[in-house]
Amino acid sequence: MPVAISVDPPDVSEKLRQKRGYTFTFLSDPKAEVIRRYDLLHPRGGPEEHDISRPAEFLVDPSGTVRWENFTEDIRVRARAEQLLAAVKALQ
Amino acid sequence: MRMTEAVQKRTNWALWLGLLFTLLGVLGNWLTFRRLSSDLFTWFIVACAALGLILSLFGAVRAFRFPEVYGGKVWGSLGTVLSLVVLAGSIMIFVLARSVPRSAGAPQVGQRLPEFTLPDSTGKPVSLSQLLAGAPGGPPPKGVLVVFYRGYW
Repeated sequence: MPVAISVDPPDVSEKLRQKRGYTFTFLSDPKAEVIRRYDLLHPRGGPEEHDISRPAEFLVDPSGTVRWENFTEDIRVRARAEQLLAAVKALQ
Repeated sequence: MRMTEAVQKRTNWALWLGLLFTLLGVLGNWLTFRRLSSDLFTWFIVACAALGLILSLFGAVRAFRFPEVYGGKVWGSLGTVLSLVVLAGSIMIFVLARSVPRSAGAPQVGQRLPEFTLPDSTGKPVSLSQLLAGAPGGPPPKGVLVVFYRGYW
């Protein structure tokens, strides 16, 4: 069950969610408060020098403990599906 | 009177190959922004652009040294400049795409994710605990994947 978080306001996320047909939850962190707390801030990394999040994924178990994570060093590279699926399987 | 042999004109294959690799570099760069990218691929396209430049340069030098045999002084010069621009652009893109902050203080494997409450795309506040507990009345999920992304623009 994924949840996607960015600095985009709710209406922008909703537009993206509908456009791609995603059913999972999108959360908004426009002031990047949670992003900062998680040390994921990419200062001025967005258009018009907006502060945004760097890409990162955390797989957590029901207790909220991180079991797998991925911080890509190149913004164009996404976590490979096999890595992710293996981590999800390990949770079962 | 000197008898000059008829010199066979040869195709300047290096120029063509150079152009091909340069174009592959351009295509590759475009693809990386269309979500078709692995780490290896991002290195590969810079290598393509570099190879394109080397071959174009080789072809251009040949055209200037042996103009009776190899055509391509004009195209060779233009091709070399183009390859140089593409390589410079590829390197710039590569460096920019990797200028990501270190995030040394981010939650590590084995740590608990700090609690948060944020509005969802309808404006309703949602907390991490709620996500971990799952939909009310149903079984809790075996795990939650929290994805931070750059945003949609």
